[in-house]
Amino acid sequence: MDLTGEFEARSYGGGATREATRLESLHLGDEFRQLALPPENAGGFTALLELPPTQAVNLLRFTDSPSSSSQAAAVTGISPPPLHSYGTLTFPSDSVLMDRAARFSTEHHQNGNVSGTSSLPSNSSVKTEPAETDSSQAVNNRSGKRKDSDKKAKSWTKKNKSSEENENLPYVHVRARRGQATDSHSLAERARREKINARMKLLQELVPGCDKIQGTALVLDEIINHVQSLQRQVEMLSMRLASVNPRIDFNLDTILASENGSLMDGSFNGTAMQVVWPHQVTETEQSYHHRQLQQPQQWPFDGLNQRAWGKEEDQDHGQ
Amino acid sequence: MHMQPTSSMKEEFLQKWQMGLQIYRPLIDNTSVSERRKAIKLSADVAMASLRRGTTCWSRALIQKTATEDNFLVRQMLSGIKAETLINKKLPKVMCHRKIVRRSKKILRRRKSRSAIEEVAAKARKLVKKKTQGLRNVVPGGEFMSNDVLLIQETLDYIVSLQTQVNVMRSIVDAAEAGSERTAYYLGKLKFAIEDG
Repeated sequence: MDLTGEFEARSYGGGATREATRLESLHLGDEFRQLALPPENAGGFTALLELPPTQAVNLLRFTDSPSSSSQAAAVTGISPPPLHSYGTLTFPSDSVLMDRAARFSTEHHQNGNVSGTSSLPSNSSVKTEPAETDSSQAVNNRSGKRKDSDKKAKSWTKKNKSSEENENLPYVHVRARRGQATDSHSLAERARREKINARMKLLQELVPGCDKIQGTALVLDEIINHVQSLQRQVEMLSMRLASVNPRIDFNLDTILASENGSLMDGSFNGTAMQVVWPHQVTETEQSYHHRQLQQPQQWPFDGLNQRAWGKEEDQDHGQ
Repeated sequence: MHMQPTSSMKEEFLQKWQMGLQIYRPLIDNTSVSERRKAIKLSADVAMASLRRGTTCWSRALIQKTATEDNFLVRQMLSGIKAETLINKKLPKVMCHRKIVRRSKKILRRRKSRSAIEEVAAKARKLVKKKTQGLRNVVPGGEFMSNDVLLIQETLDYIVSLQTQVNVMRSIVDAAEAGSERTAYYLGKLKFAIEDG
């Protein structure tokens, strides 16, 4: 009599359709390309780079007014460039920056406010830094035009632009800072450095305990340690799972069903588990795309799988 | 934290991982613990990599690496077209032989002014280079990422995916271990009841 490891198979509840819709949301690149940033973004940082300094400063003055785009256009005499190409990225796995772009665009959708400082979400630490510099610049410019704040605006916007736009444009608009070489090589080198630094910052935020550390080498050390610890955890977890009663680790769908709710929170609630004796399993089984492979009465040697496996074994032995 | 594993990512990983494990199912009773561990890990790795649908360098490299250990599993887990292109494609040759480049750079290097500051800066740069090479060794496919920007981007994505994998696996393992304890408990009770008559 063998009663081990049979757990209640609750429904995965139309999981297939839910999966489909969720998977669609994973195709972030497509979604964002369709997002057209509103023209109020003309006052935004990316457009700032196109303008000569005095006009840029005037533009900053108008950041608080909702009709900034028209005013800005009047001031500068140019129409704001189409920004939808700047706000979205083609590098598909650059989910970080796509995230930021999405948040950027949604914020502007909601508030219609160009300054973007108040509208940035507080939980996004990546954005608070540019937000703070922007608000401080706005204050500075209102109090009086100063070259320093100009340069600050340029350097931040240059950084932002180089990190978000370089993948799209054939060449990069980079403004030289005070006292720096302007030949193409060092410019390119500097742009590259900016990119690397921007991404290193994101990495620092991702890896716990990295923000306090000064210096690239130590930060890299931490990152390497973090990756290695995650890889080791995967090894440990697979060892643990393998050591557990074998019926359980390969009978995941039954465990899963009871796990379904708690998995969403990322925490495990042990009391959700129930043990069901085998003769009850058939009654509780519901639609699930693995169901046809499962034969709870006899230990599951599914003909289909066995044949497929057999084929593979022949190939393996042949090698 | 700019990005956390989302629950949809976790769901998809779990589903794909399961699918991979199902492939090993007929062999369960005949395998040792280490073979089962390998099966679990390989399916988890392919599941994690397939979440990215071939858009990142590390995911492609990981799938190719797993394919050298279990070709059949990878073929089954990925849809037909993808499997062919990923597995049959030969691994790209290393872009540059670092040793050779380093040696020729040494030869070409002219004697610059050895001010103290420059020496320190040069040492710092060397250290950073060493660390980035260390990072390349850890991230799958890192040896082929000569571009530093790409390396960091890939690392970012890889860490997030690893986190997803660890979270989901930990939940399952906790469930399984708790379940087996409970089963053992119930088994004991049952046995006791039976023996009591």
